[in-house]
Amino acid sequence: MPEIFIDGQRYEYEGEHQVLQFIQDLGKEVPFFCYHPSMSIPANCRQCLVKAGSYVKDKDTGEYEKDENGDRVIRWFPKLQTSCQLKVSDGMVIKTQETDEDVVRAQKDTLEFILINHPLDCPICDQAGECPLQIQTYKYGPEGSRFEVKKVHKPKRVQLGPRVVLDAERCINCTRCTRFTREISKTSQLTIVSRGDKNYPTTAPGEQFDDPYSMNTVDICPVGALTAADFRFKARVWEMNQTPSIDITNGKGCNIDLWTRDNLVLRITPRVNEAVNDHWMPDEGRDAYKLFNENRISRPLQNLDGEQIMSSWNNAVATFNEEVEKAGSDDILIIGSPHASVEENYLLSKYANLLGIDQPVFTTHIESGKGDGFLITDDLAPNTNGCRLLGFKEMTASDLKKRVQKSKLVITINDHFVDRNVLSADDLSTPFTIVFGTNHSQTTKLADLVIPVTSAAEHSASYVNVDGRIQRTFRAKETKYTNRRLDLEMSEGRLDRYGTNFDNWVNEDNKVDCLPLWKFFSKASGETGLSIEFDDGRDVMNEIAETVSPFNDVSYQAIDEQSGIQLELGESKKTTEAK
Amino acid sequence: MIMSSVDWKNYEPVIIPDIKDLHKIDVYKKNGGYNGLKSVLTDKKKWPEQKSVIDEVKAANIRGRGGAGFNAGLKWSFMPPADGGPRYLACNGDESEPGTFKDRKIFEYNPHLFIEGALIAAYAMQVTTIYVYIRGEYKDYIDMMQNAIDDAYEGGYIGKDILGSGYDCDFYVHSGAGAYICGEETSMLESLEGKRGYPRVKPPFPAQKGLWGRPTTINNVETLAHVPGVIKNGAEWFSNIGAANHPGPILYGISGHVNKPGVYELPSGIPVLDLINKVAGGMRNGKKLKAVIPGGSSTPILRADMLDGITMDSDSLRTVGTMMGTAGMVVMDEDTDMVDMLWRIAHFYHHESCGQCTPCREGTGWLEKVLLKIKNGNGEIKDLDLLLDITTQMEGRTICALADAAAWPVRNTINRFRDEFEARCKKSVHAVA
Repeated sequence: MPEIFIDGQRYEYEGEHQVLQFIQDLGKEVPFFCYHPSMSIPANCRQCLVKAGSYVKDKDTGEYEKDENGDRVIRWFPKLQTSCQLKVSDGMVIKTQETDEDVVRAQKDTLEFILINHPLDCPICDQAGECPLQIQTYKYGPEGSRFEVKKVHKPKRVQLGPRVVLDAERCINCTRCTRFTREISKTSQLTIVSRGDKNYPTTAPGEQFDDPYSMNTVDICPVGALTAADFRFKARVWEMNQTPSIDITNGKGCNIDLWTRDNLVLRITPRVNEAVNDHWMPDEGRDAYKLFNENRISRPLQNLDGEQIMSSWNNAVATFNEEVEKAGSDDILIIGSPHASVEENYLLSKYANLLGIDQPVFTTHIESGKGDGFLITDDLAPNTNGCRLLGFKEMTASDLKKRVQKSKLVITINDHFVDRNVLSADDLSTPFTIVFGTNHSQTTKLADLVIPVTSAAEHSASYVNVDGRIQRTFRAKETKYTNRRLDLEMSEGRLDRYGTNFDNWVNEDNKVDCLPLWKFFSKASGETGLSIEFDDGRDVMNEIAETVSPFNDVSYQAIDEQSGIQLELGESKKTTEAK
Repeated sequence: MIMSSVDWKNYEPVIIPDIKDLHKIDVYKKNGGYNGLKSVLTDKKKWPEQKSVIDEVKAANIRGRGGAGFNAGLKWSFMPPADGGPRYLACNGDESEPGTFKDRKIFEYNPHLFIEGALIAAYAMQVTTIYVYIRGEYKDYIDMMQNAIDDAYEGGYIGKDILGSGYDCDFYVHSGAGAYICGEETSMLESLEGKRGYPRVKPPFPAQKGLWGRPTTINNVETLAHVPGVIKNGAEWFSNIGAANHPGPILYGISGHVNKPGVYELPSGIPVLDLINKVAGGMRNGKKLKAVIPGGSSTPILRADMLDGITMDSDSLRTVGTMMGTAGMVVMDEDTDMVDMLWRIAHFYHHESCGQCTPCREGTGWLEKVLLKIKNGNGEIKDLDLLLDITTQMEGRTICALADAAAWPVRNTINRFRDEFEARCKKSVHAVA
């Protein structure tokens, strides 16, 4: 097998590799800025320089040549090489900054160059704390600067587009952003203008950087040159908690991180999953952070004489049970939702079973032509395939309308039928309507009983994406009834760990008064003798795995280990086209 | 050191000979023009296959006249075997290096010689499309070139079925837009493709992946102008002209403080001092010679006292730590201020760095700013060492050679005229103890 020697260690390899990626895959490090594993390699930052050479083999014998000490003779490249674009080859010898002084010196020199015209405004820069330039300067940079002349001045605070702001002085011209728009989002909206140390990326004159994926450039920017317009100056990264989750704004289920502080989701960034979204996500999914903070339903609401008023949980449970009893089993319609998780939909189905009524129905939320074949899908809901795999009956909007008009009691979850013109206000006026919801909408306003449930940021639950991959969320923010410090699955940030009650910014106001659907059903069924007893999403999923065949191999542990599990979709379920 | 035995006084120019209206195709033909191309295309006995043309040119050892001095025939032989797809010859007429102004003489006085050379090269490499990239400032020369190409199309030397041989080839003029970096070969390819002129990472080399990802050879205009002569008179004729290891006629562009600046066609290997004193008419106003930049602003400068016995060929110039470059020689007299001169060169490279690689983008600016400080009398001795440090930090660490080109003049001018730089610096107020 071909071999390569890195810092005196021998490694075997197969296939084609670039030295930098190979070293990273070994868990070692070489500093770099412009390289990105999903894009072309320009080798322009010159930070990843290493010493490269190869052992000399005797042409006739095929044996390695030895010097007088018996060591193998190495033929070095005359110059240091950028490891990002150097191909691994048999017998190659690499020395990184760990073993070679020239490499240490070269990397330090490059950093000195990068820093001379950089504003060094880390204290007011959003990127500080997660800045490759900052981190690598501490690790590999020079101690001070010998630059005593005037820095180059370039445009600052340029609103490149609706969501991205440019500070050209911070830019180190790695061209990651321009390559992103050319190679990944394919809009080619950004380009480098001017020349030499006056270079910076921008759009063509008069053009907007309104690429639907524009904010990915903020993530890949190795400095604070591109920042997110609505996250600027909101929070320091080290004050936030980072929790893995799933994008619920469309059917792709991009893997994301929710960044929270004081129980507010402040931003959403993509999390790498090569099987789903690689390093990227659409801007729309990032805007969804507001859904978790604003316009939330907190405490149950009941319609009293045409007006919705705050109610208590006891009242809500009692009303719920009364109404179910009142409407005989034939007249109850339970509507599942592609906007709700597998676990929540399963609970509705289990409840229907226990009552002995029809399985829940659902209607898809698909707008054909919305998708782009990349990460934006026609399907606007995160769990359409989840409803299908649970065996829910898929109804057209008009059929659903008829069924609703005929029913005495309608139970829905997080599907805003009135807002999306599936049902009208009139349709909902006849039956008693119970809505489990996270956010206020036209639909919840028309409901007779509104029960606030946890959002994807507040519970662990799973979603099956358009390709049939089941993935799950984690609890990122507390509700009135949960506690980060007691919940072993919740992430703990620096403030949680080292803060005190006086400075950890925790504010009761940001905790929503809501319950996970399984908690509500456990409460409600307990009073009627139906047995529904679940502590958390994990319990629900364990039962689903036992009882619903497509989910047999699913468990949270397996999802976590494999970052999602591919489920078998029946032929009929693969289509996501609008009906 | 190779002592000069070059008989330059009796040399008859072949690239820009003194023939009236040679730029006109009829005059060119009357003087034996396009015979080389005709021979290559039709004389199957002399040139049984394309490779025999390449071998002849390789044997002539035409060292590339764009500055790097690489054997042109050897470069042609790097082209992979034809696979039916497009292949290109890109001719570099960007000549932007300060002190260089030779190719324009070819465009103006003998464009068909270059066209013929390019066509022979294209035929030898089985190329069917030729581009000549000319700097945008050469508006007049671009028009002259275009006229010459139009005439050659009309005469049946370019286009379909050239001279009835069945060989097709097209020839396009492409105008640059004012960037020095587009004279760097891979950057020129980017520019030809309509992109920003950023040099490409090598490998892959242009012979493998050049224009639009296809095999491409890049030659300097003057290099190609030597090809018809080699084809007509043989490799031996060419390699017997001038210095043994760097043979052939050279277009010397002499500028600066001489009485008769201009472009002179003479053999290689001519003594530098002869070039200044005899060819270019000696120093202006009888001043003393102080320094010479032998081949364009990036080549290391020579003090007058280093010039004894030095001839214009790469071997001889290497002995004094400089090189041939483009043979665009800048001559400076005793009144020249080295600090000002170096600052001006640094200013040029700062202005022209494309900004792709960190060391060049940042280093060129830093060099210029520190030199400006010294020029204005605010420099300190430590700044000189800082400048030398910056040059080592830049050299050899970038994609193309512009960083080297910017670093060498700074390092060598400071090292060779250090006393002048020190005299301009502020005296230290600290005791040296």
